[in-house]
Amino acid sequence: MRYNNERYSRQLILQGFGEPAQSRLADARVLVIGAGGLGCPALQYLVSSGVGSIGIIDDDIVSVSNLHRQVLFTTDDIGRLKVEVSSERLQRINPEVDITIYPFKIDSSNVIEVLNGYDFIFDGSDNFTARYLVNDASTLLKKPLIFAAVSGYEGQLAIFNIAGERDERTNYRDLFPIQPKDGEILNCAENGVLGVLPGIIGAMAAGEIIKLITKIGRPLINTLRHYNLLSGEQYEMNISPGANYTLPKTKAELSSIQYGDVDQDAENYTEISAIDLKSLREQSTTLVIDVRERHEYPKLHDKEILPVPLSELESLLAKDISEQNIVFLCQHGIRSATAAELFNEKYGDLKNIYSVKGGITKWSNYF
Amino acid sequence: MEIELVTFGKISELIPNQKIEVEASNTDELQTNLEQLFPNLASMKYKLALNKDIVQSTQELRNNDIIAIMPPFSGG
Repeated sequence: MRYNNERYSRQLILQGFGEPAQSRLADARVLVIGAGGLGCPALQYLVSSGVGSIGIIDDDIVSVSNLHRQVLFTTDDIGRLKVEVSSERLQRINPEVDITIYPFKIDSSNVIEVLNGYDFIFDGSDNFTARYLVNDASTLLKKPLIFAAVSGYEGQLAIFNIAGERDERTNYRDLFPIQPKDGEILNCAENGVLGVLPGIIGAMAAGEIIKLITKIGRPLINTLRHYNLLSGEQYEMNISPGANYTLPKTKAELSSIQYGDVDQDAENYTEISAIDLKSLREQSTTLVIDVRERHEYPKLHDKEILPVPLSELESLLAKDISEQNIVFLCQHGIRSATAAELFNEKYGDLKNIYSVKGGITKWSNYF
Repeated sequence: MEIELVTFGKISELIPNQKIEVEASNTDELQTNLEQLFPNLASMKYKLALNKDIVQSTQELRNNDIIAIMPPFSGG
């Protein structure tokens, strides 16, 4: 016997499900990219339902600000690798499932090898670098890709790389052909997210994956579902193939594409800690700019830190700045790096440009 | 003609759901009009859907059409 009938009895007795569907689940291999807000609920249901093999890739550790939405983790897990904690919890939920963990960041050198071992790819990552890489690799390998993403109170869900009724296959680039730059679109850390929202979207994604595996119902193929938690409304749009992009056609081509951030060595601004910032301000004339939007918390009490949201930075770029050092600051150090890059283009070697790495969240005691 | 706008994410902070009167015969012209009406839109990444079909090349517009404006989300 490949699985315990009693464990799955409530879905085995479902009309249109039964043994054939349960066997398909037991044979399926699903890769979950990101054990975060979307990954946690999706994993819980995939594992509980009896998906035979599950891979989890994530290089991150559990932090306290994850706990409001990443429901596999507890306060005691802070500082531990997410993949390790997830694997332990999930294995206790269902020891029949074979779980493989990948405690590193997905990148163009490992993506093909990791994806190759799976039949279905779930993208629950939290950045465009991973999303475009996973999209292109899944499309290259012709693997079904279940896409989910959240922002604020809203979520998006779609299935790519499966032929629809008109025999057309679509991928994420049919929606957004070009990868947004770092800091161009805010992520959860930057924009905020209501804890339950990725729970809903992640569970919806698990539902779609289970439908695909068991061949029941009508999966969201070539359809983008947009969900708004505040209004409770869902808005579904049909996706057709677009023409204004090219995808890597070989593995070599894929690994030659620059998905990630610009190489650190190529940048001329410097990332510093809050400790460095303190000594920098003591040593020479330094302008510190908080590039967060005005509504963001915590508010800073230091009157010498100039608040200029990233969206209004252009006006400051046009003005003359007398200070020799310009330091940018934001919540996590992502937007401040974007700002530093922008100012570096203008000033080059004329001024010293800095970005506080890890931002106010990392150095909360200093601000 | 009258067009209904449905917006998502950050774009709905800029353009709340509304009906607008525009002089545009297709979605390309509408896009130009929208970016004039809402200048911040021009610097944002977004995709249009016409009556729930994602727009890949310009489409004819008719009175009372519904245009959705959707930004990419990356959060997880």
